[in-house]
Amino acid sequence: MDVVDEPAAADPADAALTATGVRRAFGTVQAVVSADLAIAPGQVTALIGPNGAGKTTLMLMLAGLLAPDAGTITVGGANMRRSPVKARTRVGWMPDTLGTWDSLTCLEVVTTFARAYGIKATDARARAFELLTRFQLAEFASRPARVLSRGQKQRLSLARAIVHDPAVLILDEPASGLDPRARAELRTVLRELAAEGKAILISSHVLAELDEMVDDAVFMFAGSTRGTEASEHLERARRRYSVIGLDAAALQKALAAQTRAWETTEAGAIVEVADAADAAALNAELVAAGVAVAALAPVGSALESTYLSLEGEQR
Amino acid sequence: MSTATQARTSRARATMGGVWLVAALELRLRVRSGKWIAALIAFGSLVGIFTLLLAFAVNGQMFGGDDYGVIFGTVVFFVLFMGLLVSPTLTATSINGDRKDGTLAPLQATTLSATTIVLGKLLAAWLASLAFLTVALPFIVIGAVVSHAPFWTAVVTVLVLAFELLVICAIGMGLSASLAGTAASAVLTYLAVATLAVLTLVFFGLGTALSIQPTTTRIYDVSYDYDWAEGEPSIEDCEWREETWEEPHTEYVWWLLAANPFVIVADAAPAEDDFDRNFYDDQTMLGSIKYAVREARLGPAEFQNWCYYNYGDTEALPEELQRAEELQELSAVWPWGIGFHTLLAAGSVLIAIRRVKVPYGKLISGTRVA
Repeated sequence: MDVVDEPAAADPADAALTATGVRRAFGTVQAVVSADLAIAPGQVTALIGPNGAGKTTLMLMLAGLLAPDAGTITVGGANMRRSPVKARTRVGWMPDTLGTWDSLTCLEVVTTFARAYGIKATDARARAFELLTRFQLAEFASRPARVLSRGQKQRLSLARAIVHDPAVLILDEPASGLDPRARAELRTVLRELAAEGKAILISSHVLAELDEMVDDAVFMFAGSTRGTEASEHLERARRRYSVIGLDAAALQKALAAQTRAWETTEAGAIVEVADAADAAALNAELVAAGVAVAALAPVGSALESTYLSLEGEQR
Repeated sequence: MSTATQARTSRARATMGGVWLVAALELRLRVRSGKWIAALIAFGSLVGIFTLLLAFAVNGQMFGGDDYGVIFGTVVFFVLFMGLLVSPTLTATSINGDRKDGTLAPLQATTLSATTIVLGKLLAAWLASLAFLTVALPFIVIGAVVSHAPFWTAVVTVLVLAFELLVICAIGMGLSASLAGTAASAVLTYLAVATLAVLTLVFFGLGTALSIQPTTTRIYDVSYDYDWAEGEPSIEDCEWREETWEEPHTEYVWWLLAANPFVIVADAAPAEDDFDRNFYDDQTMLGSIKYAVREARLGPAEFQNWCYYNYGDTEALPEELQRAEELQELSAVWPWGIGFHTLLAAGSVLIAIRRVKVPYGKLISGTRVA
């Protein structure tokens, strides 16, 4: 995981998309109680929460499809309420399914959406083909979208969502139902898009998957986002490294001689390091002290441990 | 790429272009299949078989008979009937069906406006229903030729048919945008069609029965003291008297007929029928309906001429002439019908636009955004 030194988009002015105090009810059901988030350009931010936490509702509001009852959403300076078309143009939204496009070919689906965003016919076709090629769908260009596999459909859906080159990309459960290979490919694609400077918000249940692709995370429970508290948690979780020595006793003895906080485990210890560089320094110190280090790596999934502890507080 | 795209995107897109884009998408989604061609062929075959059978049934031969426009009128009504059956399927599930298929929300998230999306879908549905009309067109032309219908009659009839199909498409669109379930919107659209095409006639009948009331009528009849031994009386031997009896007052319920698509088609078609004294003689089928409806609008005559002896060479009574003139001058019923249908269609389209507009405020219960 790319370790982030400071919480992403701490300054909302730099954020590609910000949401403040957003709430939304359906009848008597308060789907989103209070959501605040800011996603930064060039970063992948995860939106994590249990089923029914309001993630999809929040994403629909961010995509400009659902009006919040209160709160403001701003995309690149454009207010979603005051200039909805301008704001919508800057957002690419990928719903959890591609939709049933029947006999429409892959090229037609993407071209149609390029034109729907106002791109000229000839450019639209070129742009669509460029995206299909980029996502390894060129061979399916003239085949109906319904023949694609789930993974291919998700890639087509992503091509459709970014056809107008939006600054912000909102992906609702893109990894669900994908096989490991398709997931890995999705991860690569999203990292590439982030490297191009797009701000990406992704919701998912597969926390271990997210661990490897996100820079930051927003946790959402029962309609509310958990900001600083979750960030601190996540930060701490990310700094916990598991060290396994061939001789656990010797390892623990060496650890007792240094200043970092640590706790013993069966095979060695868990050490709280300052950052990745500090982890490397720790390794060097241990080796210098003559400890045979078998493994030194982050403990499990930082997102998962944060999720579980926050969810535990929720109960 | 980025800046170029954004520059083009920010420029206000032509709404017409958007409408065409949505229409093309809709046609590709719904229409591109062999089944659709099969449906067109089936439709054309049915109208064709109907036309040929009718021509032989009425005339005993294809051409040459004098059918008083029965073939033309019946073929036109048959095409309208079939069109009313087909058109609801084109729009009655087009918005809630797309919601279910997950193909509406991505479109709404683009820069296309709700108006563009709805009008595009309506245009596609109308074009599809016009395809059915086009398949039926040769038989309407054959009907017009066989029945010696004037050219303009045929043209106006086809235009009104096209308009009525648009109205049905619009009603279906409004309902599909307002209801969550595709089954519910389809049933309601058919119910709306049945109301316009059939129930207006039923309610007109019932309304007419309810409108019956004692009415005093002036009667021009042979006087009681006429001596029949002198032979047939002449018009000078008659006199006015008053009688009161129960009569239906269709002038109160005629508007129900005006809402009927079949009546609108019949009334709008120009008729060269000679409508002077020869009630319903020498009339074409559509022309007869036209005058029957206009007469219904006038209500019962305040007089009746029973003095029809030696009638042939006598002049009509001034009252009769006046009645005939009133009937002639009575404004057509079709503008009312077309006006009402235009309101229905426009209202449905406005409702559909409101229901497709994002961001959604209140959601229709039972629907999801995506």
